Amino acid sequence: MAEKSFNAFEMAQTQFDKVADILELEQASRDILRNPMREYHFNIPVRMDDGTYKVFRGFRVQHNDARGPGKGGIRFHPQETIDTVRALAMWMTWKCAVVDIPLGGSKGGVICDPHNLSMREQELICRGWIRQIARDIGPVNDVPAPDVMTSAQHMLWMMDEYEVISGGKYPGVITGKPVGQGGSLGRTEATGYGVVFTLREALKEMDIKPEDTIASVQGFGNVAQYAIELYTQLGGKVICVSCWDQGDQTSYTFRNKGGVKLTELQKITDHFGGIDKKKAKDLGYEILPGDAWIEQDVDILIPAAIENQITQDNVEKISKKVRIIAEGANGPTTPAADKVIEKRGIFMIPDFLANAGGVTCSYFEQVQSNMNHYWEKDVVLGNLDAKMTSAFIAVSDMAKKEKLYMRDAAYVISVNRVAHACRLRGWI
Amino acid sequence: MVLNEESVEKLHDILNERVKELNCIYTIEELLSKTEYSLADVFQKVAEAIPPGWQYPDICVARIDFEGQEYVSKGFKKTRWVQRADIIIQDKSAGFVEVYYSDFRPTADEGPFLKEERRLINTIADRLGHYLLHNKLRDLFKDLDKNGRILQNKDKSDWTVILDFLRRSDQKLYIRFSRRMMNYLCWNGVEEAKHMLKYFDKAPISDESVYIDDVNRPLQKASISNILQVSDKTFKIAADRLSGNEILICIQKWLQEDKSSFLVRALETQGNPLSEIADALARFYHLAQEGIQLSESTRKTLNVSLIRRFFTDQLDYINKAKNFVDIEDFHELLTRIIYTPDSHGKLGGKSAGLFLASQILKRALGEYEILDQVKIPKTWYISSDVLINYLHYNNLEEVIEQKYKEIDQIRQEYPHIIQVLKNASFPPEIVKSLGMALDDFKDSPLIVRSSSLLEDRSGSAFSGKYKSLFLANQGSREERLEALIDAISEVYASTFSPDPIEYRAERGLLDFHEEMGIMIEEVVGKKVGKYFLTPYAGVAFSNNEFRWSPRIKRDDGLIRLVPGLGTRAVDRLSSDFPILVAPGQPKLRVNVSVDEMVRYSPQKMDVINLETNSFETIDAIHLIREFGREYPNVSKVISFLKGDHIEQPFGLNYNLDQEDILITFEGLIEKTPFVKLIRTVLNILEEKLGTPVDIEFASDGEFLYLLQCRPQCYSHDIVASPIPKDIPEKDIIFSANRYVSNGQVPDITHLVYVVPEKYAEIDSKEKLSTIGEVISNLNNLLPKRQFILMGPGRWGSRGDIKLGVSVTYSDINNTAALIEIARKKGNYLPDLSFGTHFFQDLVEASIRYLPLYPDDEGTNFNDHFLNTSPNILDKILPEFDYLSDVIRVIDIPAVTDGLVLKLLMNADLDEAVAILARPSLQKEVSIRPSISIIQPSDDYWRWRLQMSGRIAANLDSERFGVKAFYVFGSTKNATAGPGSDIDLLIHFTGTAKQKNVLMTWLEGWNLCLCELNYLRTGYKLDEILDIHLVTDEDIARKTSFAIKIGAVTDAARQLPMKSAKSL
Repeated sequence: MAEKSFNAFEMAQTQFDKVADILELEQASRDILRNPMREYHFNIPVRMDDGTYKVFRGFRVQHNDARGPGKGGIRFHPQETIDTVRALAMWMTWKCAVVDIPLGGSKGGVICDPHNLSMREQELICRGWIRQIARDIGPVNDVPAPDVMTSAQHMLWMMDEYEVISGGKYPGVITGKPVGQGGSLGRTEATGYGVVFTLREALKEMDIKPEDTIASVQGFGNVAQYAIELYTQLGGKVICVSCWDQGDQTSYTFRNKGGVKLTELQKITDHFGGIDKKKAKDLGYEILPGDAWIEQDVDILIPAAIENQITQDNVEKISKKVRIIAEGANGPTTPAADKVIEKRGIFMIPDFLANAGGVTCSYFEQVQSNMNHYWEKDVVLGNLDAKMTSAFIAVSDMAKKEKLYMRDAAYVISVNRVAHACRLRGWI
Repeated sequence: MVLNEESVEKLHDILNERVKELNCIYTIEELLSKTEYSLADVFQKVAEAIPPGWQYPDICVARIDFEGQEYVSKGFKKTRWVQRADIIIQDKSAGFVEVYYSDFRPTADEGPFLKEERRLINTIADRLGHYLLHNKLRDLFKDLDKNGRILQNKDKSDWTVILDFLRRSDQKLYIRFSRRMMNYLCWNGVEEAKHMLKYFDKAPISDESVYIDDVNRPLQKASISNILQVSDKTFKIAADRLSGNEILICIQKWLQEDKSSFLVRALETQGNPLSEIADALARFYHLAQEGIQLSESTRKTLNVSLIRRFFTDQLDYINKAKNFVDIEDFHELLTRIIYTPDSHGKLGGKSAGLFLASQILKRALGEYEILDQVKIPKTWYISSDVLINYLHYNNLEEVIEQKYKEIDQIRQEYPHIIQVLKNASFPPEIVKSLGMALDDFKDSPLIVRSSSLLEDRSGSAFSGKYKSLFLANQGSREERLEALIDAISEVYASTFSPDPIEYRAERGLLDFHEEMGIMIEEVVGKKVGKYFLTPYAGVAFSNNEFRWSPRIKRDDGLIRLVPGLGTRAVDRLSSDFPILVAPGQPKLRVNVSVDEMVRYSPQKMDVINLETNSFETIDAIHLIREFGREYPNVSKVISFLKGDHIEQPFGLNYNLDQEDILITFEGLIEKTPFVKLIRTVLNILEEKLGTPVDIEFASDGEFLYLLQCRPQCYSHDIVASPIPKDIPEKDIIFSANRYVSNGQVPDITHLVYVVPEKYAEIDSKEKLSTIGEVISNLNNLLPKRQFILMGPGRWGSRGDIKLGVSVTYSDINNTAALIEIARKKGNYLPDLSFGTHFFQDLVEASIRYLPLYPDDEGTNFNDHFLNTSPNILDKILPEFDYLSDVIRVIDIPAVTDGLVLKLLMNADLDEAVAILARPSLQKEVSIRPSISIIQPSDDYWRWRLQMSGRIAANLDSERFGVKAFYVFGSTKNATAGPGSDIDLLIHFTGTAKQKNVLMTWLEGWNLCLCELNYLRTGYKLDEILDIHLVTDEDIARKTSFAIKIGAVTDAARQLPMKSAKSL
């Protein structure tokens, strides 16, 4: 069954090949980038709560570290395959390169379903994973982070095990730690702010004043809320947000043509970004169907919820007025819709670039951990602004220069950077 | 008569003397009755009380000598003027009483003493003798009661003392005992006793008249002395044959039993109302406090009678309960039962369940110390026939007929019935009792629960069909009483609501004389601000029917835990979730990632608002923020969300105002014995009740209160179905690999498919409700248990219709299976309908439930078949033609050329598949909502064997060339069912032509037997005769079925044939 289904790694390679063609890379460069530099496959024996032993399979794939220590998450997934891990490691290489942070790309994982494991057993898997790979990762080699089904708790166990083995304090071995335990401030804001930093730069290039723009936002989670906060601070006006209603099992769009007020909405919002419909109505919001956000007469659309939201079916509903789409979510636009958007000349800030605030902040966490000196929040966010801004300018310049769609430009620039680093090191 | 002056004076003196004597007697009687005096005190005081009774008190002194001890009155001195009487105990002198005059006095009847004084002194001595005997016996009884037995070396005369005493004081009892002793002796094989028996046989001992004679002659009335002699003789025999100890034990046992006989009589008399039983119980209770001990058998008899009177006639229940309850428990229970004086009611199922569970746990306390954390909330009960009484009192009898009306009419009239009942009044004695209950509860919030006789009986869970109401119970006594009465009326009214009536009709329970007991239970919790809140509550099940991990076993159980009242754990909610824990595997959690834990953490809680006197659902997090640590055990209830890290409150290093609070119960689950306690309770109850249970519980932050206990709906009839592996994909309609339970539905002819995509597109509420209406209509039109319902999301969810088709149980009760389709919406997968009223209904009715996750890898979902097969909705419900794109009704045999759909489910493999296949039987298979397994009835195999014999007997062996005739398989093994065939083995030696003729001849039999079987059982078979021919060669080589002939195990049985007989 699995053989028939789509292979993430093959797809990532195909995507790479297209960019390699644009860059006219020679064979050796292609060879070194098409496949991971190193892969580790290992056993993690665990004594289960019931006294039996179970052996889990662990991986770490280091795709490329020409630009710096590897960076990438650890996934706990029952249907994990090495090809998925390879694809994601490659993806991390490009992602770090596009924001120009000095890190390579890695990914790791364990084949397991935490739903079948107690916390103690998960702890043993984390510690076992570190024991197998400790000599091949580290603050200056490869830095894991949380991913699917792993959280700050798992990172703390892993850090602890690594420090026991290494005989010293190395908080920089891992990121995603809680504040006070080697974590960085500003992490919650990072992605949402990052979206708006790139948006601000885009407006600047298009010579539009933020205060003259209105926007429509899909989603009201973390990313959306901080994006709205910063965008409003810049003078922009968000007239509607949409979100999922757990009770009704449907999504609604909340519109206030005078501009939504973030703080009043936050007060009536649950943990998952669900806004209380009744209370919103009392506050004077119009309650519209969930997909109404896309058809608003606004200048900017910020899809910041989940993937596959702008599709062939609704792309035509996008108002003529829309100038920019900033992808706060991962993969909100389907390829078919993407073509329409490109054709219509709407300026696209691709997810790859727009939501890179998260990985950038992870890098800052690593830097602070290595120094054992932690910055105030405004320092973190200031540095983030600088990184995102220059990243945007580089991509945008490339797009203009090479007449590329922004999404392609972002990809091209990151592959270019990595290949260049390999060249400089004399690998190819 | 005329008296002269002298004689008048003399009379006066005489009377004066009598008064003195009487005073003396009274004083002494008084002294003897005082239990607080020691024996020495008594003698001393009696000695002093004697002189005033004599003619010359100032010169009179007295002395009492008892067992060598001397007690004298003031100024005692021996003289020659003395009067003396012996104190006799058991025919032996134990001492004496003496009266002296210290000076000379004229001679009277006995020296200076009067004859009346002789009588007086004799009476005193006699009284003292009795008193001493009584004391001695009392000590003896005490000793017996205390030790339960007498030490071997005790004097043999102990038992004779008792008997003597009995013989004198209670001859009836003495005779009863002698009769029992006689029986005892006979059982022990004592010959003389058997001989004696005949005297007793004629003598009904309970009666005072005794007959001893030959049967042929008229019976002659025997005098009591006669029977006394017989009795005496009996005990003489006993004295010879038994040890004193043995006799004593018997007597002691009988004495005890005799004391409880009134209770047995009160309980065994069918017509006795509750009030009389209450009186008898109270009397017994007081006796018991003086230390009454019952034999095991008497105790059991009493227990069983009490259980029957208060709870149920169901043998299952009684059988279990009798081992765990005691008479004293009933006495306690009775103090809180409300009934009319002539009530014969019971307390109902819910009360019975809870009472038994609480008794079981009480008795397990010794073994499981942890159980000291379990309590039962204070509860009052209203006996079940108060409902009827109430209807009579208000002349509302016709309401009872409601259940025989058409369901539509019942539905229409129900709102009026509620109003009528709410406006009716209760008999004054009930109102008075309710007032007493309220005084007992004070102003604690209450829950009024139904406890009907039908409710909670194993196999028919009436859960949620009858009402339960919460009362804040605030305000003046009058207001509180009024509210309580109002609530009770409303619960009563729910007996006549359409849902339970339909439910009963379906189960053939309509004619059951339904009465409704009521439980008035104190709500568990604490007052916090203006709210009365339960820190946490929930339900727990012995069997986990929703296993989120293969490591969780079914018997690991399930807890559904919520903050606030347990209502949110019991009910299906559309937007809020309980915390789930498997008590056997508490560490394996449903929600593991931070996202999941956040998404599925409870948001709301049900509380009682004491200011508005109402039941409210409020935001739990707000409440915790507002009241902080006032919330009992709050640090065990909540966790903090910090980015992607969830932490439990640690020390005091947190501030509830600033933290992002999640309700997780992590502390409770991990750091307290809560889960262990629930598991212990579940295990004990399951073990003792012999069935998996479900319980409702609540906590006040300190103790765990058990609110309800009943058998968990558990389907014995459902066994894992084998899942065939080599089915062509085109024949698979759908398959599942998650949350599969066991069972199979063999012959599905119709499939109702609510197209998820189309359903989601419907934009008007009216149209959505119409879908439910159409389903309800189809439910009545399609062949019962031969169609399945498939549709998106959660069927029957109250509240939000968009979630799933809006139906109640009565709208889907004929389906064979309910299949919920959960297509992923983002990261969200719809909640499953387990542990809810609805689910239990399905389980009860053997309606299979299966969730489908078409997006899962490795599952099939035949969109093509479901979406393109012809839809017959417009033919059967033309008026709903316009919904044909949403609801697709597929006539499976019509579109598949006679195939049916088979749904096979296997929980062990966690796999289910629905496949197109040939119909297995042509009979309509009715899946009974019962726990009975279809047992091979005697009838089926017997009939088959008989018929086989007939065939053999009629078979002409020469004509057909048959050498021998055998039967084997299910017919021979006596396991044949109504659909079984008859396996025949024929040893054939004839020609090809003979073979043809034989087969034709047998085919005639086959057709005939098929028809007969159909008429007998309703099972239509095409070939009931399964004929296997074997040849000489087969037998020689032991090939084919020939091995059955003369086989060591499971050999075929030979039947005699026509020619064989004639030979």
